[in-house]
Amino acid sequence: MPALSVLLDSFFYRPDEDVGLIQEVVAGTDESLEPVAEEVPEEYLAFQLEGELYAVPIHGVREIVKVPSLTEVPRAAPNLLGVMYLRGEVLPVYDIKVKLRLADKAPLVAGPDATVTPPRGTRIIVVQASDGLAGIWVDAVNEVVRLRPSMLELAPPGVGGGERDCVVGLGRRKQELFILLDLWQALS
Amino acid sequence: MNSAGKALAEFVAEGTEILESLGKELLVLDQQRGVEPEPDIINGIFRAAHSLKGLAALFGQERIARLAHQSEDLLDRLRLGRLSLDDQVLDLLIESLDVLQALLAEAAREESSDALNERVKELGERLANLGTASAAADEDPLDRLELDPQVRSVFTEYEEHRLRENVRRGVALFRIRAAFDLSDFDTGLTELNVRLKPLGEVVSTLPSSEPGGLSGIAFDLIFGSRVSEAELAAKLQGTPAQLFALTVRPSAAALVPVGSAPETPAAPLPLALPPAEAPAAKKTTRRKPRASKTGAGSSTSAEDVAPADAPLVKASSLRAVEPVVPALPASDTSSLPVVRTLTEEPVAPRGPKAESESARSLTQTVRVDISRLDALMNTVGELLLIKANLQRMAESARVDAGVTLSKVWGQDLSRETRQLERKLDALQEGLLEARMVPVGQVFDRLARLVRRIAREVGKEIDFVIGGGDVELDKLIVEELSDPLMHIIRNAIDHGAESPEARLAAGKSRRARVSLQAEQKGNHVLIKVSDDGAGIDELGVRELALRKGLITEAQAREMSRRELLNLIFLPGFSTARSVSELSGRGVGLDVVKNNIGNLSGIIDVWSERGMGTAFHITLPVTLAIIRALVVGVSGRTYAVPLNSVLEILSVKPAEIRTVERREVLDLRGTTLPLMRLARVFNHPERPADRYFVVVAGLAQERLGIAVDELQGQQDIVVKSLGGRLQGVRGISGAADLANRRTVLVLDVGALLEEGMSSERRRA
Repeated sequence: MPALSVLLDSFFYRPDEDVGLIQEVVAGTDESLEPVAEEVPEEYLAFQLEGELYAVPIHGVREIVKVPSLTEVPRAAPNLLGVMYLRGEVLPVYDIKVKLRLADKAPLVAGPDATVTPPRGTRIIVVQASDGLAGIWVDAVNEVVRLRPSMLELAPPGVGGGERDCVVGLGRRKQELFILLDLWQALS
Repeated sequence: MNSAGKALAEFVAEGTEILESLGKELLVLDQQRGVEPEPDIINGIFRAAHSLKGLAALFGQERIARLAHQSEDLLDRLRLGRLSLDDQVLDLLIESLDVLQALLAEAAREESSDALNERVKELGERLANLGTASAAADEDPLDRLELDPQVRSVFTEYEEHRLRENVRRGVALFRIRAAFDLSDFDTGLTELNVRLKPLGEVVSTLPSSEPGGLSGIAFDLIFGSRVSEAELAAKLQGTPAQLFALTVRPSAAALVPVGSAPETPAAPLPLALPPAEAPAAKKTTRRKPRASKTGAGSSTSAEDVAPADAPLVKASSLRAVEPVVPALPASDTSSLPVVRTLTEEPVAPRGPKAESESARSLTQTVRVDISRLDALMNTVGELLLIKANLQRMAESARVDAGVTLSKVWGQDLSRETRQLERKLDALQEGLLEARMVPVGQVFDRLARLVRRIAREVGKEIDFVIGGGDVELDKLIVEELSDPLMHIIRNAIDHGAESPEARLAAGKSRRARVSLQAEQKGNHVLIKVSDDGAGIDELGVRELALRKGLITEAQAREMSRRELLNLIFLPGFSTARSVSELSGRGVGLDVVKNNIGNLSGIIDVWSERGMGTAFHITLPVTLAIIRALVVGVSGRTYAVPLNSVLEILSVKPAEIRTVERREVLDLRGTTLPLMRLARVFNHPERPADRYFVVVAGLAQERLGIAVDELQGQQDIVVKSLGGRLQGVRGISGAADLANRRTVLVLDVGALLEEGMSSERRRA
């Protein structure tokens, strides 16, 4: 009898089997194959802002859309680029470059006096914030990266804008460096 | 939503419905205070409490189930005549409803507070201990009825009670024997009941002791009616029913008190025609014989306790005379309850409910008439046909690509588009209709609130409701409840005087507060008025000056109307004493804001010593509104058309300034002017003329200068969401047909802004 149960056992899926390796090969994002089985990689959405590579946890992202025509909102906060219509909902679109000190001033992209026409790669990342949906203007969306906790490091002091730090850390994958953002801080 | 949450939501929706019907019936009782209640109503309440008990138990809501059970107990005693419906009982029942409502609210939030637990417990004890037994009568009137003891022994306690009541009131009783074919006796019996219902009360339906033929079944209906035997017989023509009168022996001992009640000329007729509903009577058919009931603690067994029952009759016969009092012109009003709710129409079939702080409904559910949904479904079906036609045309155009399309094809296309347009209109209309609910829902809830408030402040109020069947969007109706509550509180607290003061002023002792709704085209007008002391505009002026809301100079220039409008300013209150109910100075500015949010307009009228009236004008629906699309500095904005009074074309030279503030002369009055471009910090463009949109909310008027008018359009306003709520002057956004998103101006906020800047400057 014990022999049979052993036999059967080998048929059953065991969660500690390292499927992670296969997934990583499939995703093609990490070839370094560290044999640390407990590490669960997390998925991040990587995007570009002024040539720098940023990443946010993918579970907070609802969708990525091309830039529709934005409507400017008078007397709103300076980081508000405008509002957009997305399948029956109206949501605000924000600039986070000023907050990250990548720009001095949010671009004027909405309204008849708009000075900036969005380049082809420009996208809006729609995230679910605590008080509804919000859009974030990014220069380009790169890919979804899987980062293991061991690939993350704390942000060196002085990185990230202002006293309320919206850079939570850095993610390193070989030569690539991802700046991990706390979007909620960046939006506030 | 997970399944538990869904179940809870269902429970709350259904519970709310039951409480509404419960409240509606209680409201009827409340209106008929002093008059002996119709058994139908008591039965209705009893059934509602019973269903609530079952429902709550099913969903594991023990507190609700327990309280519903205790109320049901009380109602059962009431139903069986072991308890008389006095003010105390009615008040307790209404209180139970309030507590049940609060319990349901807690259940909806999945909470359970100790305070409420305590209240449930305390209320339960009071329900159980209330008037344990009415006194028994000298003699059981039932003994005077010539009825086969065998038949009598199968009556349920309730049927016996009803029979006794009928004998006591001198209502003629009949035995109606009807034989039906077994195959369709149920429909026959229902038909008979329907026919009998308007004529009197079917006390009991019993299977007849005599067989109803080979394939038949016969019933004996015990029927009480004031209609004469001959007339009754005529009415029963064509039914298989045979009529036998049951004779009642004259009362042996107390002929005078017992007999006098029904013979009093003023004995209200309605009492005589309590239309016992057929289903209830039917249900009782197969009840257990009375013997088992007696075992359950009944003290009204007919044969053996006749002496013990005697005082009951005495007591109830006295009660039966009582209705005469309110039937007289109500000169001695002191005997009336604190609050009476009066309707100018039958009570709307929706019920009051309230919890301590809000009269809002707990549930987001809208009940929709299935025929409305059917109509929508039909429209969708036709839309699909049109889509198929369009598809076919697109296909033919694709196949014939390169060939010039025929004229016929073009005509076809335009016909289909017209059809499409028409059907879409119908769809829109249908959907809007489905969202409509009668304002009576809120009115009835408020009626109960009025009771409580009046009692708390010790005033005597007649609350008059009218126009409860006027329909508004569900959203508006819900949002309306709190503002109305505030206004009514004010009317009772500040408006209505104490009974003594009213008598001294030569008015009737009871103050009258009325709540009326009426449809006016695309708008609904809701009037809340009282015949109280009115607003003292000089007091208002003085207080506004003291609080620094206006300056001396302004006060001098203000008309009476403008002074009255100061009551809508934040922080304003004329209450000498700050009571718990009002006088915190938060009421009216909140009211104004809420009404403004609904694109409504509030107006106040008041005459000292005569009373105060608030007129609230509301759009029928919020979902789709008509808007004026305007352009300013190349931007487009939408202005809700219901707040636009008129549009002027103005040359820059016509704009004048008063203390550096721009104004216009509008037919002799000065209209403050606001340049939208300036307010919104848009680059101003020089123009040789402006369009001025004259917007009005309540009494305030403001001219909003824009560059161009682009026309009118139906728009669906979307909220800007939590993050952008802080943007002043914008109430939402809408998508215009050409995929342009435009912002919708918040006229109320702009007016406010215009006024406050004026005040600041002054």
